[in-house]
Amino acid sequence: MRPWRRVLFFWILLFLLSGCGAHRAKRDLIVLLPDAEGKRGVVTVTTQGGSQILDKPGYAIEIEDFNQPPIAPQPVEEKEITDIFGPALSMLPDPASRLILIILYFEPDTTRLTHESKDLVAEILRTIKSRKSDEVYVVGHTDLVGKEAYNTGLSSRRANYVRDLLVSSGIRPNTLFVSFYGKARPLVPTQDEVPEPRNRRVEVIVR
Amino acid sequence: MNHNRIRKFFLFLLTIFFSFSIAGETVFADTSPIIAVVEKVNGTATVVRQGRTISAKIGLDIYQYDTLRTGRDGSIGVIFNDDTSLSLGPESILVIDEFVFAPRQGKYSIALRMIKGTVAYFSGLISKLAPDSAHLETPTASIGIRGTKFVARVEGE
Repeated sequence: MRPWRRVLFFWILLFLLSGCGAHRAKRDLIVLLPDAEGKRGVVTVTTQGGSQILDKPGYAIEIEDFNQPPIAPQPVEEKEITDIFGPALSMLPDPASRLILIILYFEPDTTRLTHESKDLVAEILRTIKSRKSDEVYVVGHTDLVGKEAYNTGLSSRRANYVRDLLVSSGIRPNTLFVSFYGKARPLVPTQDEVPEPRNRRVEVIVR
Repeated sequence: MNHNRIRKFFLFLLTIFFSFSIAGETVFADTSPIIAVVEKVNGTATVVRQGRTISAKIGLDIYQYDTLRTGRDGSIGVIFNDDTSLSLGPESILVIDEFVFAPRQGKYSIALRMIKGTVAYFSGLISKLAPDSAHLETPTASIGIRGTKFVARVEGE
């Protein structure tokens, strides 16, 4: 090979490599942001190569290729977030709060509210009255202890207990929609027969 | 004479075809619920519904299976029935494969597909009621969303 040819070859190689580099710099990117309620959200990113969990606000996961595992979370600078996502973020509508969710929790195997949840009943009444809502869903659940049929009954008793409580406080019955699912829809998935306070609940959704 | 009869027959067929297609559309519009509404629009943004392109305006209703698209200068923000909010930056395409918010049936599900572009997402009630039922698919990955706010960039092909 003559020297000038070698130089040309080198330059072509360099050109191709830099092209690749520029392309690879623009990877798919997922960034977790702090939310207004200060709650810790979690995002799970799964490719054909594997999975990564993103649970720190301000951290990002990058994906090189669909058959490679996602790259482990790295912190991202705020400037980079605004550079890439500024237009999208400026158009994100404010949380509408057209719906309010209040969850009431129960003592095991009873329709007795926990101490903390008793105080929430007044808040539910305030919410319904201040919004003049005519659409309130009351949805009963149990944890996974016990048989399915028994828990269906228990979740029904819990939901109807809350419904009756609201009716006796002056809420019109025809605005309340009761449903119940026994042990079928746990909020926190557990093994069967595991007691879990967060699953012994009635969800009240106020529109 | 014969020619005339053939023409009449074709007109008859056409009439039947159109009346069916109109009826079909009406039924579709009645049974599929509105799942979201456009809250913000900037520049070029469209909604593709059953092959038709509708220019996005504030207050436009969004249905399941709709595709949201933005142009080079465009962006759009929508709010879903469960108070989930979502927005797209320029040159983005997002398909709503599934959105179910039915407290009376205890059914909750969000399945979105990002073809390309940038998206911002803030969870609503579905993530609080059924934490594992919201997903965003991209050409490279599947993102499971558990009650949170995040942004994603998808390069597409």
